[in-house]
Amino acid sequence: MCLTDIKPGEKVKITGTTNMAENVRRRLLDLGIMEGTVVCIKRILPFGGPMTLEAGGQWIGIRRREASAIRVEAV
Amino acid sequence: MNIALAGNPNTGKTSLFNILTGSYEYVGNWTGVTVEKKVGVLKSKRGQLIDLPGIYSLNPLSQDEGVATQFLLSEEFSSILNIVDASQLERNLYLTVQLLEYGKPIIMGLNMTDVARGRGYIVDEQQLASLLGIPVLPIVARSGKGCDELEAFLAKGSDVKSEPLHIDYGATLEKAIHELGSLLPESFELPKRWMALQFFEGNTVVCKRLEKHVDYERLTALAQETERAVCQEAGASSLPHHIRHVRSRFILGICEQVITRTKHIDYTLSERIDRITTHSWFGIPIFLLLMFFTFKLTFDWLGTPLSDWLDGFITGPVRDTLSNALYAVGASAFIRAAVLDGIVTGVGGVLVFIPQIFILFFLISFIEDSGYMARVAMVMDRLMQAIGLNGKAFIPMIIGFGCNVPGVMAARTIEQPKERLLTILLTPLMSCSARLPVYSLFVGIFFVKNEALVVLSMYVLGVVVALLLAKLFSGTILKQEGSMFLIELPPYRFPQGRTLLRSTWEKGKGFVRKAGTLIFGGSVVIWFLSYAGPGGLGVDMQESFLAMIGGVLAPLLIPLGFGTWEAGAALLTGFLAKEVVVASMNIIYAAPDTTTLQGLLAGHFTALQAYSFMAFILLYVPCIATVGVIRKESGSPRWMWFSIGYALAIAYLISVIIYQGGKLLGFQ
Repeated sequence: MCLTDIKPGEKVKITGTTNMAENVRRRLLDLGIMEGTVVCIKRILPFGGPMTLEAGGQWIGIRRREASAIRVEAV
Repeated sequence: MNIALAGNPNTGKTSLFNILTGSYEYVGNWTGVTVEKKVGVLKSKRGQLIDLPGIYSLNPLSQDEGVATQFLLSEEFSSILNIVDASQLERNLYLTVQLLEYGKPIIMGLNMTDVARGRGYIVDEQQLASLLGIPVLPIVARSGKGCDELEAFLAKGSDVKSEPLHIDYGATLEKAIHELGSLLPESFELPKRWMALQFFEGNTVVCKRLEKHVDYERLTALAQETERAVCQEAGASSLPHHIRHVRSRFILGICEQVITRTKHIDYTLSERIDRITTHSWFGIPIFLLLMFFTFKLTFDWLGTPLSDWLDGFITGPVRDTLSNALYAVGASAFIRAAVLDGIVTGVGGVLVFIPQIFILFFLISFIEDSGYMARVAMVMDRLMQAIGLNGKAFIPMIIGFGCNVPGVMAARTIEQPKERLLTILLTPLMSCSARLPVYSLFVGIFFVKNEALVVLSMYVLGVVVALLLAKLFSGTILKQEGSMFLIELPPYRFPQGRTLLRSTWEKGKGFVRKAGTLIFGGSVVIWFLSYAGPGGLGVDMQESFLAMIGGVLAPLLIPLGFGTWEAGAALLTGFLAKEVVVASMNIIYAAPDTTTLQGLLAGHFTALQAYSFMAFILLYVPCIATVGVIRKESGSPRWMWFSIGYALAIAYLISVIIYQGGKLLGFQ
């Protein structure tokens, strides 16, 4: 299951980010988001636009294509 | 005493910098790196404060992040002032740990303690200080609270701990760190353990430095070997991941001891505002409406009445007083003409727009400080993706509405090099505040009923042309791969008056300074060229040097609708700074004040010609300051020339379309 399969408001745990472009993975790491982090989707913009994530009290905007490379599991 | 100021982005570093130093002292370049550094002298005059770009980690991802690492590697400094956001302590400490490992004395400024408390975090700074072994001073940089104590502490120059932090990274990695250290010469001037850790974490800047002493194959072999062993031992997916993990565990341990949670974070207000500002359908319309409101306020409601008042003041009392004074001291006719027709007319013609420009800068600062800017990037990302950019590129463009120079510099936050270059090249198409006097002048004559709307159309034209060119360039000369978009969305906050005034002044003072230097000098030169001719001094303007120079350009401008020497000469001077166009016109048409000039222009232009002229001014070439910063930021004169060339071509094309198309449609 990947992050784009989740509905807004649901909480999930990240299990893998290996499929992701290196620069995106690094930026997520900078923000403290990695395997094991619990995230929650807040908003999804239309027409395949970006989505808002909440993780550890911070909000992050991320493209849907990038989000689809994040593997998650239910918590 | 040199103190480096380091911290995560958006933690109030710049606010603190301004408080501690009073003002920017100078701006210069790093050795070998074309990125700006800000250096200020501490108010106590005991030393210098160096403002490093905001970074999350010393391992650089975008260009501005490399600056901080480069600084640690090559510059002399005595200590580091690490500013930390108390409301995001865990994340901020990651940088702190890396700085502590470096081993220089560190003082921590624990900022935003008020925000942290509001979100239900209480940080025990004494406990934090004793756990990290460094002085920790709580501050609120936005209001200035605690900054006096921090200043006093810095001024005292008390010696603080300089023992590097030592975290145990596990037997395998520790062995590798030791091995790498032994490969380096005894006299190596940087902390070896820190260098090794940064290298294993994949820090490219550090790696380049190590290559001076150890050959590349040896380094990569060591890194690969260590990675394999560490992954086996610790079950990590990669070496950087392992290092990250060990540090995070260390930080978590600290956070558990120093943070008391009183309640859970309340994002409800931000969430509610986001529901409107990033709404599926209304997100973009709301943004446009907000921009329209901004222009309405700048032109119709507030700015224009103030500018009119200032115009009356300069052309009335100021001019009369100066004129009387010149008579009183017995100045010659030449001097009197130079001062009254050159300087007062030229500089005064530009100064009258100060109210409008400051209002615009104030509103942009408000948007920047409120947290809305990141939402604009979100809302715009889908559109920007379609044209080969990302939503973050929209931020430099909005800043460019104020002034293109900081706009071009703001492109540094874009990670992807080609997207960054593209943004640098296109930001000058944003209609900056210096173009505003030109619009104001013309809309006041030809579009009295729709002032704000016509000016808004100029801004929209700039944005649309930029977006179309982005699509063109990203598909041809700047083809790219690996586009990315990731942005932090800070909670909304109501900007504080003091911060707002400060950043408005920071932005606007450049305009005032320009009036005193470039425009002052330009006015004198233009006046002289219009006063002198082949026939000697005091010739008829039509026989002046200026008329001859402008006359060369005039035929080229006929298809655009303004093929006069006056327009040609004004455009030429606009390269210095766009507002010089207005100063030139004041002098050329020998108009003592804006109202007279408008009356005269009404006879020389039609509405359609004026619109075509405005569009040309908007697009034709970036001003000299912007060209300079493009050269610096793109790192190549080639791109600088390109930015001038494409702008001229597109300006000519658009103005021809407006004028010829308008004529066909029956406009005048």
